[in-house]
Amino acid sequence: MGSSKIIRTIVQKLFPFIVLFGLYLISHGHLSPGGGFQGGVVIGTAIILLALSYGIEKTEKKFENKRLSMLEKLGILTFIFLGFLGIFMGHSFLGNFLPLGKPGQIASGGLMLLFNIAIGIEVATGVSIIFYALVKYRGEI
Amino acid sequence: MFKEMKKVFFIIIILVMTILFILSVDIEYGNPKNLDVANYYVDQGLHDTGAINLVAAIYLGYRAYDTLIETIVLFVAVTGVVFYLRGKR
Amino acid sequence: MTPINISLLVFMIGLYGVMSKNNLIKKIMGLTIMNGSIVLFFISIGYKEAGLAPILEKGTTGGIPTTILVDPLPQALMLTAIVIGISITALALALIVRIYAKYKTLDIQQLSKER
Repeated sequence: MGSSKIIRTIVQKLFPFIVLFGLYLISHGHLSPGGGFQGGVVIGTAIILLALSYGIEKTEKKFENKRLSMLEKLGILTFIFLGFLGIFMGHSFLGNFLPLGKPGQIASGGLMLLFNIAIGIEVATGVSIIFYALVKYRGEI
Repeated sequence: MFKEMKKVFFIIIILVMTILFILSVDIEYGNPKNLDVANYYVDQGLHDTGAINLVAAIYLGYRAYDTLIETIVLFVAVTGVVFYLRGKR
Repeated sequence: MTPINISLLVFMIGLYGVMSKNNLIKKIMGLTIMNGSIVLFFISIGYKEAGLAPILEKGTTGGIPTTILVDPLPQALMLTAIVIGISITALALALIVRIYAKYKTLDIQQLSKER
């Protein structure tokens, strides 16, 4: 049960730009306001917009529940794995072991870009899984 | 009895909140007093972490452990929601 | 009428919603409003007179004198607070869906008579 044809057309045209904006917020988290949480919520909102306008069955054919769940577990395990990688390289847990670089470029700040990407994936898929679970419940006790 | 208790709670809470509001009308706004930790973060943040966004330097550089526990809290919440809305197996 | 007073007013509105509305979903909305008021209070504590956002300029380290930047520490703490608010709302709404499926009502007076 989706929405009217005007909404479906506009959402189909707008979806790549919303995901692009979310990826911009995630990747420029250490240079401008933004970061992992903000960009992740924007990408999760894009998937919720698809589910609201095309119906939940058609959206679940493209963004399956099992695949999103696996991506969420991968995101949180990447964060913990990067923390232990800091111990193996000689610094503390979650310490910076990559070179710091020139301030103002994307490849600066050490581990911050990888942290932001892991958090972004985890939050985006988490919000989508919550929405799927709330919509697909059919009243069984 | 429930309605009487609710009325008494209402009046007590409105009284306390009005007193708090009257006492807080002349709070100093725009002049924080103890800024030692904030001055250290602003002065040394770029040198220690290499990020020009100081808020990101705080929550991903100096205090990354809190961010890890917060992502675990969000993960536990998603697990709880999926557990409650599972339906018939 | 500084933002500190306004945050107290918004907190009172949220508290009124939790206390005196009979629907369960309106109570959860009151919790979310109270969460927002606390975030506003903490961020407006660290405000400096005519201050700029705590983001340095690209490429230079001596562009903006760092004494007119706003305090960045409460803003980093409130990120965690917002995420925890989302978790609380999501779990509460999942419980409300199960309550409605079993008892067919969301009114707190009728639910307290159910036993």
